[in-house]
Amino acid sequence: MTAVSINKHSSRFHLRLNQISRGTEFLFALILGLFALLCIIPFVFVVIISFTGESSISSQGYSFFPLSWSLDAYRQVLRLGDLLWRSYFNSFLITIVGTVLSVTLCILYAYPLFRRDYKFRSFFSFLSFFTMIFGGGLIPTYIVCKNLLGLSNNYAALIVPMLVSPFNIIIMRTFLQTTVPFELIEASTIDGAGEYTTLCRIVLPIMKPGIATVALLTALGYWNEWFLCMLYVTEKKLYPLQYLLMEMQKNSEFLARNSSMIGASGAEALKSLPSQTMRMAVVVFIVLPIACAYPFFQRYVVAGLTIGSVKG
Amino acid sequence: MKKLLSLVLAALLIVAALTPALAESPVEITVLFEGCNVTDDAAVLEQLNAYLAEKIGVTVKPVWGTWANFNDLASNAINAGSDEYDVMFTCSWTSNEYAPYAKKGAFVRLDDPEDNLLDEYGKDVEAALPALLLEGAKTEGEDGEKGIYAIPGFKDFATMNCWDVNVTLLEKYGYTLDDVKNAGFYGWGDIFATVKAGEEAEGKTFYPFIFEGAVAERIVDGVSIVPGDANLLLSYYYNKEDVSAPGAYGTELVGKFATPEFEKFAKQMREYFQAGYIDPAIAIGETATDAWRNAQNTANYLISTEVSLYGYEVTTSEARGVQVAYLMDYDAPYIDNTSVQGAMMAISANSAHPVEAMKFLNLLNSDPTVITLLCYGVEGVHYNLNDAGEAEFTDTRTNSYSVWVNGVGNVTLLPPTKGQGADFQQKFAEFYGGSKKLPIYGFTFDTAPVQNEIAACMNIKEAYALTLWTGAGDVDALLPELLSKLEGAGMQKIVDEANSQLAAFLAQ
Amino acid sequence: MTCPAKQQPLPRKLNGGQFQKNLALTTMVLPGALWYLLVRYLPMGGIVMSFLDYKLPTRKIPFPVNLFHSKWVGLKNFSFLFTSESWVMIRNTLGYNALWIVMGLVLSVAFAIMMSELTKKILAKTYQTLMFFPYFLSWVVAAYFLFAFLDPTNGMIVRAQQAATGTAIDWYNEPKYWPYILTLCSMWKNTGYSTVLYLSAITGIDRTQYEAASVDGATKWQQVLHVTLPHLKPMIVILLIMNVGKIFNADFGLFWSVPMNSAPLFPATQVVDTYVYRAYTSTRNVGMSTAAGFLQNLVGFICIMTANAIVRRLDEESSLF
Repeated sequence: MTAVSINKHSSRFHLRLNQISRGTEFLFALILGLFALLCIIPFVFVVIISFTGESSISSQGYSFFPLSWSLDAYRQVLRLGDLLWRSYFNSFLITIVGTVLSVTLCILYAYPLFRRDYKFRSFFSFLSFFTMIFGGGLIPTYIVCKNLLGLSNNYAALIVPMLVSPFNIIIMRTFLQTTVPFELIEASTIDGAGEYTTLCRIVLPIMKPGIATVALLTALGYWNEWFLCMLYVTEKKLYPLQYLLMEMQKNSEFLARNSSMIGASGAEALKSLPSQTMRMAVVVFIVLPIACAYPFFQRYVVAGLTIGSVKG
Repeated sequence: MKKLLSLVLAALLIVAALTPALAESPVEITVLFEGCNVTDDAAVLEQLNAYLAEKIGVTVKPVWGTWANFNDLASNAINAGSDEYDVMFTCSWTSNEYAPYAKKGAFVRLDDPEDNLLDEYGKDVEAALPALLLEGAKTEGEDGEKGIYAIPGFKDFATMNCWDVNVTLLEKYGYTLDDVKNAGFYGWGDIFATVKAGEEAEGKTFYPFIFEGAVAERIVDGVSIVPGDANLLLSYYYNKEDVSAPGAYGTELVGKFATPEFEKFAKQMREYFQAGYIDPAIAIGETATDAWRNAQNTANYLISTEVSLYGYEVTTSEARGVQVAYLMDYDAPYIDNTSVQGAMMAISANSAHPVEAMKFLNLLNSDPTVITLLCYGVEGVHYNLNDAGEAEFTDTRTNSYSVWVNGVGNVTLLPPTKGQGADFQQKFAEFYGGSKKLPIYGFTFDTAPVQNEIAACMNIKEAYALTLWTGAGDVDALLPELLSKLEGAGMQKIVDEANSQLAAFLAQ
Repeated sequence: MTCPAKQQPLPRKLNGGQFQKNLALTTMVLPGALWYLLVRYLPMGGIVMSFLDYKLPTRKIPFPVNLFHSKWVGLKNFSFLFTSESWVMIRNTLGYNALWIVMGLVLSVAFAIMMSELTKKILAKTYQTLMFFPYFLSWVVAAYFLFAFLDPTNGMIVRAQQAATGTAIDWYNEPKYWPYILTLCSMWKNTGYSTVLYLSAITGIDRTQYEAASVDGATKWQQVLHVTLPHLKPMIVILLIMNVGKIFNADFGLFWSVPMNSAPLFPATQVVDTYVYRAYTSTRNVGMSTAAGFLQNLVGFICIMTANAIVRRLDEESSLF
């Protein structure tokens, strides 16, 4: 413990000496700032559209400076009532459960692959990697998931099919390679600690930034997911928020593409669809919670930078 | 103790064995609908299932497919051979395409000579639907025999490709509907110029001509979709004086872009586009429909297109606050397989209860109670009938029970909606009774033999078609380029295959 | 400087517990492996559909028995991918991917290093949060955003051009601008994601190494070259290899939504995925779409194996497997 605090101290001390010049830092801040601006502006735009009056859109299109403002879009969204809150709840549930399970599986799978002394390392590496490249295609996967695993109209259908990600496993393994010194594991094994104890006591604490990163990516994946819902879920009470939005989008796309086939009754259907501004309001509803949750993950990712060495 | 136990067990067994015999529990069938947005169907199902259980011993579990997910639900279930849907929506234009899937054996043949479900359990359907509807539902099955594989919905089953004219705006500039009619598509330049100049003098950008490209071509050239050719690569030219007589090319099918008629049409569009009469947004695939519908809804256009239906002038004139007229320049609404097969209900070949499914379809097409419950909901909750006998929808229906009526069944059994008038359904049925069959009626192009060519040509066509239909690109450069690329991708093979199939069909 | 993991040979003295150790580690891998077998490997049998005229499964002939009743058509399902026009989509797919892999790598590593040098951590945190926003906006929404600028009638850029010069570029009709627009969009969407990956890898670097280098008189730039980059190398190489494996797969949403399905842009926007999607929606042929996917995978597999073999020869520890 004392070693850590001394280490921390000295690194802070040196960090101050070991800085880039103010000019360079300003340049860096400027470049990154411009890019960050580029990233946020479209979202600001979405927010503006969501407050734009329909009449303004039909006369001048989308604009940063609409002719009229309105809260109609949000009123429409809130009118969804139960459906909205229910899908909000579903999104949270799926994301939380999915992320916890997925990250656990990811750590459990990646850790042995990082152990050079594990006998079946290359076999299981390949088992994982191969699925990143080859897949069985939609129909066979659909049949296995639906008929064999019973993934139909339940929460499992929205979680299980993306539970394990070879990409995340490789990322996690790479994190382990770069941050966990092998001697540490050796030492722990010599002390007689079991493999699970070594993993939990020694490796996990060092791995926090890596775990936070993979958890963040997984959580984003679950939060943004809608395709599984389209395939396996028909009951609206199970919809996640993202699919609620995608459905509005796909509804209007479909009607647009087939307007000449559906004819006049399609025009009526098109009219009853949620307006563009309402869809933007739903986007706002989707982005806000995860944007709020982001700093929570970030604490672990960026924490390492300020503390200096995370290695005890 | 043991004896007692075995006695109890025996008693239980007897009871268990007798229960189904005593109270015949109704069979539940699952029905996949298209284009619905339903969040609360409890009230409807309670009434519907009580009614159905008593009448035919069936209950229904609807799966409310939406425009967004229907294609995937249906085609995945079929490709996976799943038995999850007993009855499913099918038609000529979604991914659950009627003719190809019937041919692949996805649906039960309803008029199978050995097990004729239609004759046995569907007598009322045969009575309720016009004979030509069931005739139009005939298509080839897996065995190559023609048969009925789905019940077509009784709806606007004939095609009316129309110019949609904003009469109010037209008259503002001293023109009449007859001027538009007499000048014709090739002579609208002056009218457009006057109206555009007049409207823009008020300080806004105005495009008089906003339409759906593919439909405009159909109207101008007198072209129908070739059934089965969902990618619009082929054309059938009908006879505008008499749609049931052979047209300019007899009963031959031609490549859509290869005719002099098309070239003339495209060049005229180019002229209008360059003059600024056409909104460029309708030339961009993704914005086209929005721009066109938006212009219509805000009455911010002079001439547009519509695939119209009976009585639609009234609806749109009221909704847009201007007087709208629909001009159809051929003698009668025409019927072909595309329009007749526009909305159907089929029984899945994997259904465990085809008989019960047929009984349900029978009522769906002949019993007003069933279809009204499914389409409109419960009276007093989802809609109310006014003194004229017209249905007025409540907010409950708008918010939680929105069903695409045309995709369900026989819509002529429904009460008219507000403003249509009490005798709407009789007039509706009469109107469509007067429609005419195209000479190629009954024909559906089976694209299976030329799928590779279709895939390639479709991708090429997509890169040009909308630009040519809307005049957004240089016709002299693009059209020859398109034609030579299509030729390289095997277009001629498609045309030849289609014509030989059609010839074989007509010879029968 | 080398990675810490590389320093020592394998410990041989732990042999006594070899069996136990392998057993324990295998129990860790097992749940994931089971998932792979069920959800990934079992359906792989479906690849055979690429070579079949797929017959629908029915009550009597259920899946997968129906596969044996389907007619074997050899390579026929693949032929729609090879027409006189295919070179455009193949060129676009490979070209964009190759360019974006390199650009994305340089940009995100550079951003991550810059970010790690910011002394105002609040700034670094804010930037990092903002960089993730594109990830939430679907391509459809991004397409609307772009359209607001390029819309032929009301677009902000178009209006500005008209005001300035009287004429405006017809953006959705001119394919020549789209390679740049698409590149910008792709960088916008994906850079934040990989920047975070690299940043968290930098986070893991032992600070004392910088101090040692600094004491030795290394400039900041030298520290980046000799400390940061070698540490990032495993991550860079891994991400590179994985991206190379997807070189024949395009980001469907980007190419489908962003150009607004504008026909004249096809020469710049048609890629394998959009081509196959259009073909599939027009034919509904399961065999053809499976064939296309299989071919994409096969190309990816060959590329990834080649890349991995090269990396293996140069630096075994960094290779994927």
